[in-house]
Amino acid sequence: MIVLIGVSLLIFAIARVIPGDPARIALGPNATAEAVAVLRDKLHLNDSFLEQYGYFVVDLLRGDLGLSLYTNRPVMADIAQFLPATLELVIVSGLMMVAIGLPLGILSARHRGSWIDHTVRLVTLLGVSAPAFVWAVVLMLAFSYFIQIFPIAGRISDSCTVQTVTGFLLIDTLIAGNFKALGNAVWHIILPAFALALSGIGQAARLVRSNMVETYDKPFIEMAQAYGFPERRIARRYAFRPSLIPSLTIIGLDFAAMLGSAFLVEAVYAWPGLSRYGVAVILRKDLNAIVGTVLVISAMFLIVNLIVDLLVSIINPRIRLSQRAS
Amino acid sequence: MTTPTLKIENLTLGFKTWSGTAKVLHGISLHIKKGERVALVGESGSGKSVTARIVLGMLQQLKSARITGSVEFEGVNLETLKPASRHALRGTRMSMIFQDPTSSLNPVYPIFTQFKEVLERAQPGITNEKARERAISALADVAINEPDRVLDSYAFQLSGGMNQRVMIAMALANNPALLLADEPGTALDVTVQAQTLKLMSALVEKHHTSVLFISHNLGVVREFADRVYVIYKGNIVEQGPTGQLFDDPKHPYTRALLSAVPRITGGGIPDLDDDPSGFTAPLATHDGYSERELLA
Amino acid sequence: MKKTLVILTRNPLSLIGLILVGLVVLSAVFADFITPFPEHVGAVVDFSNFNKPPQWPNIFGTDLVGRDLFTRVVYAYRISLILGIVVLAIAVPVGVAIGLAAGYLGGWTEYLLMRITDVFLSIPPLVLAMSVMGLLEPTLTNGMIAVTVMWWPWYTRLVYNLARSEREEGYVLAAEVIGASKLHIMFREILPNCVPSILTKMTLDFGFVILIASSLSFLGLGVQPPTPDLGSMVAEGAKYLPDSWWLTVFPGLAILIAVFGFNLIGDALREILGVDQ
Repeated sequence: MIVLIGVSLLIFAIARVIPGDPARIALGPNATAEAVAVLRDKLHLNDSFLEQYGYFVVDLLRGDLGLSLYTNRPVMADIAQFLPATLELVIVSGLMMVAIGLPLGILSARHRGSWIDHTVRLVTLLGVSAPAFVWAVVLMLAFSYFIQIFPIAGRISDSCTVQTVTGFLLIDTLIAGNFKALGNAVWHIILPAFALALSGIGQAARLVRSNMVETYDKPFIEMAQAYGFPERRIARRYAFRPSLIPSLTIIGLDFAAMLGSAFLVEAVYAWPGLSRYGVAVILRKDLNAIVGTVLVISAMFLIVNLIVDLLVSIINPRIRLSQRAS
Repeated sequence: MTTPTLKIENLTLGFKTWSGTAKVLHGISLHIKKGERVALVGESGSGKSVTARIVLGMLQQLKSARITGSVEFEGVNLETLKPASRHALRGTRMSMIFQDPTSSLNPVYPIFTQFKEVLERAQPGITNEKARERAISALADVAINEPDRVLDSYAFQLSGGMNQRVMIAMALANNPALLLADEPGTALDVTVQAQTLKLMSALVEKHHTSVLFISHNLGVVREFADRVYVIYKGNIVEQGPTGQLFDDPKHPYTRALLSAVPRITGGGIPDLDDDPSGFTAPLATHDGYSERELLA
Repeated sequence: MKKTLVILTRNPLSLIGLILVGLVVLSAVFADFITPFPEHVGAVVDFSNFNKPPQWPNIFGTDLVGRDLFTRVVYAYRISLILGIVVLAIAVPVGVAIGLAAGYLGGWTEYLLMRITDVFLSIPPLVLAMSVMGLLEPTLTNGMIAVTVMWWPWYTRLVYNLARSEREEGYVLAAEVIGASKLHIMFREILPNCVPSILTKMTLDFGFVILIASSLSFLGLGVQPPTPDLGSMVAEGAKYLPDSWWLTVFPGLAILIAVFGFNLIGDALREILGVDQ
């Protein structure tokens, strides 16, 4: 909570210290000086920094992030429109990261020192060595142009009509029972989600590998081996489970960082998410919209981290038991 | 004469490194008869622990390990066994107790989960109820009064002495022929160590389990072992019955080792010189206690 | 130090890393001599040669106004490396000093400094840099500022955790007992023990700074044309896929090679110096 207040203050401070008059930018170079002055007054731009922050917090608590000077709509409405697409992309990527990254890490650790390990390490290192937009372009070139199996851009084909309920297409199509549209949406999301997930997959695999290799040196692994427990079980229950505890926190951070990288992938695949809006408002110095966007993304980021902390405390019996005791 | 439970002959071990092979064991021979408790004594780095790991077949997996010589278990040369049948012996016919009981238990599962895994080695598909029943009776053998509470706890919630008893109970749960005890309880404080060792001693006597007792603690060895092998830098330098060896050490190294035992009345712990020439003197055996005579 | 270098050249993977990074650095330093058309760095147009696929003498092809792509990629390396050096030269000392102070001094200092750090850490790095960047004018200097602002907290967190555990170590207590000053203990006793971790992280980060900076300019929030930049080259070229594939593939590959090289070395360093993640 303290952190969230800090975040809002920080973003707000950044937004206010920059040069340039937002009112002037909003109205354009041809506006009269009076019109600018009126708008400045309306936006509280003439008040002190703390007063401005005060107005901002009061509005925020009412769920009001102000008007966007770019779209002329409430920032809240803009975000509500664009956020689900971004979240859908990030969540699917996150699932890919866990579903592919963890098994790769386990595989690598089990065969540590062998060619399997070296291959996995090399491939995952390549994965983290390029920004998401490079992977997005490469995958698009390979699987949309060269071998044409995936669509080039967008969330769903125009021929499919889906009624918006949650804004998450994968859920909306499911609610409507429209499996053709669901399939179409899945088909559209695979490539961008994978491009976004690649570096996360690499990070997760590398992290799990290094933590597991460390765990493999622990006495309880030797004990399990001395008692002849099957290697698979040792890998899963003795090496992986204890390694998951330190890994999970970092994987959560990586997952949350995807909220940022999503901007890059959305730009390549013309994904109608927060990215285009975010970049547009940043370029136009649309203060309310910038503050709102960053604040919402940071809130998502914090929520993800909270969930991860919760998961860690469920997996780690030490924390679980000490919580039950208190 | 009956086949010894464990017979090691001329065992050597080396590790391949960048600059040639580093020799760790230089051809050691030892054996343990059924129900016999044999100690392998030496400093850290002398090759005690690796011997136990070779018996279990755990070092053979290392690519860098070079092993020669033979290890026979109940008359069967382990090297001739298929990996699967060799693996099947672990945890069933032979088991092991480790130095630090608390860190040798998996921290993310309760004791019972691990106990059941041990029991499953001998009895695959054992039910939860049956496993619990057997675990409770095994824990009763090591004088644990609240077996249910212990089984539902995690290792980090229990004291070191309690974990050590759990380990002993696990090690003997499948009634193994051979128990390898690698510095058991060295991480515990002295009184707790003594208590748990007494328990273990009584249990192995009851079950006629053969024990290879690995230790650097001569006091404990004297208390516990029937026979002693002294190992120094990968060579057995003296062997004999416990009483005789302690009363009349023949090898210079054994003498140095015995004089290094801290005594309350003495002047502290004398230092062992790193490599005095006498320590490399040939094997000293007590009358009638050479490998050849004992195995005849 | 010398020994570390020798080990790095022994391991095939880190040797590849050294070679890649060496190539990148050398080409950036000697860009004036190895590129065929150094004048193509600026706002030059040569419409007779525009949008040509890779061919001699334009081994990476030419861009939409006829400039040699290879030349521009090499000069973009120069800018990326300068950016990396400047960002780390500012972010590391700042982050390390704050981390040391918070980790060793404890109490209110620790609480205040770490909460501030947490605030910076709880905005996704790219989003933080984006908002700083977008609110400033998009220039190279401001790009450095934006990336630096998001980078120092990671060093603070790293050094903070190290310093907090070192503070209980015997040698620190010993220094306290003989009356060493707090500054002496922080910088002369604890800091040297953090150096392996910091060095490793810096090597890895050099690649990641290049990565983040290119992401910013990819979104149009970084270095502005005509200055060559790998990220904006990819963004520009992506509009002309798939026909003019070289416009995106070569700059993209250039990012991958540089970052991969630094990662290989960083990974090897981590193992040699025994640093945890």
